[in-house]
Amino acid sequence: MSAATDIARETGRRLTAADTAGLNAALDWSQRLLDTEAARVDRLGVRGALDAVPIALKDNIVTTEQPTTCASRILEGYTSPFNATVVDRLRSAGAMIAAKANMDEFAMGSSTEHSAYGRVRHPLDHDRVPGGSSGGSAALVAADVVPVALGSETGGSVRQPASFCGVVGVKPSYGRVSRFGLVAFGSSLDCISVFGRTVNDAAKVLSAISGADPLDATTLDRPAMPLPRPREDLRGLRVGLPKEYFPADLHAGVAAGLQRTREAILDLGAEVCDVSLPHTAFAVPTYYIVAPAEAAANLARFDGVRYGPRKVGPGGDVRALYQATRGQGFGAEVRRRILVGTYVLSAGYYDAYYKQAQRARALIAEDFRRAFATGVDLLLTPTTPTPAFRAGEKTDDPVAMYLADIFVCATSLAGLPALSLPVGRSEGLPVGAQLIAPFFEEELMLSAAAAIERVVPATAEVR
Amino acid sequence: MSIGRDEVRHVARLAELAVNENELDRLVEQLSRIVDYVAQLEQVPGDAASDPFLPGPHSVALRDDVPVPIPLRYPPADMAPEFAEGFYLVPRLGAMGDE
Repeated sequence: MSAATDIARETGRRLTAADTAGLNAALDWSQRLLDTEAARVDRLGVRGALDAVPIALKDNIVTTEQPTTCASRILEGYTSPFNATVVDRLRSAGAMIAAKANMDEFAMGSSTEHSAYGRVRHPLDHDRVPGGSSGGSAALVAADVVPVALGSETGGSVRQPASFCGVVGVKPSYGRVSRFGLVAFGSSLDCISVFGRTVNDAAKVLSAISGADPLDATTLDRPAMPLPRPREDLRGLRVGLPKEYFPADLHAGVAAGLQRTREAILDLGAEVCDVSLPHTAFAVPTYYIVAPAEAAANLARFDGVRYGPRKVGPGGDVRALYQATRGQGFGAEVRRRILVGTYVLSAGYYDAYYKQAQRARALIAEDFRRAFATGVDLLLTPTTPTPAFRAGEKTDDPVAMYLADIFVCATSLAGLPALSLPVGRSEGLPVGAQLIAPFFEEELMLSAAAAIERVVPATAEVR
Repeated sequence: MSIGRDEVRHVARLAELAVNENELDRLVEQLSRIVDYVAQLEQVPGDAASDPFLPGPHSVALRDDVPVPIPLRYPPADMAPEFAEGFYLVPRLGAMGDE
């Protein structure tokens, strides 16, 4: 039996154990497909950078072998006729697609409770959420089922669950990784992003999937990201702490985790300074106008004619078909966001909401540009205001749920690279620190994160 | 409430989304809460740049216009009752009116 087959069998055992434990993190996987992937790796002959590495894909990344549901009833039974560019690139590097991971429906949510296939459990405490919307991918890495996984970010949907689950989550610059084959949510925001047990694991995957793609005109014409060179220390770097990300009421455990990280950065020889991003308060409201507006347009294609099951409405005409299919096929959060997006784009409200959000987005991006122009190399912030919250705690109040993204969505609006690094635990629950870098400075960000990772214990209690 | 029942019905029609009458009150409450929350963008300075910010490349890189077959999940013959020589067979024009 080849090494790839051994790994495929072990991955199958771990997926079975995760299913049995009730994690509900994997939507579709089979031992047969894993064995097929192993045979394909054996046929490759050459050992790629991800040789026989099993990887889970969020279920909004299309493959020809498995259904892609986006955790929605409206795409039940849909299988794509083509593979996402990232899937082809992962396979070229020797990786094995292990499973499609559960998620918030169409990537809309911060807790992975909005899945048509049931909520994902936090691996350390099943009464809590793993974060979202890429909660299934995060949970599979945190539970040690797979070492790496792909998620997608529109407004923090990889960094936030990475923080909640105690794993590394890396969002690249917009345009670094092809979106071809990622089911669109907010096209000016969407980024395929990476989970890993370690910074280096995540960096290897990002390197393999990055680079220009003729099938996605928004990728930048630059080669794949080289693997970051290891750093012994952080001498010569200047790390800024934006005061708006450290409010007085920040969770004590999160504040302690960040203090520990700040001290480690100083010990590693970097300079630390305070900076200001004055328009940060506009980030969440801006995001919750821009993203639903783009979603309302992108999800118009799901109408019962081209994809998934079809419902026939009263009257029997084509509009009744659209309305019944969409009304019954989409879940509550997706329908809310489509309605909000349609509202802010409609006549009479466009200037007051959407145009104003575009202005705010420009101001938020300018805040980051100015901060980096002062000589700051990286920014350090908490990833989330609290550790993982309890299931059901925020489902009745959409705005309370949206505020779980308060520290992650500004970077998405600005298209910048950022990552979440586990920096300790508070009462047993992981705490994440976020590093934000200038556009296309992923190598610097990842090499600094790897240096911090070596000295900050990821699983020790913070005080 | 900043949004009323009629507005929710109107937006739902624009979005081609069926909304049940029994869920309307809850939607009115939740959408009002969201819209009231995002309304804080009124405070964005009026003199702020009005050009939309977009991340990514400044110009879109176009690929060569080379026609390639578009993969289909199922062959075209499986999508309609009758298919022959690359065409779907449908009733002759006017034939339906004769029936």
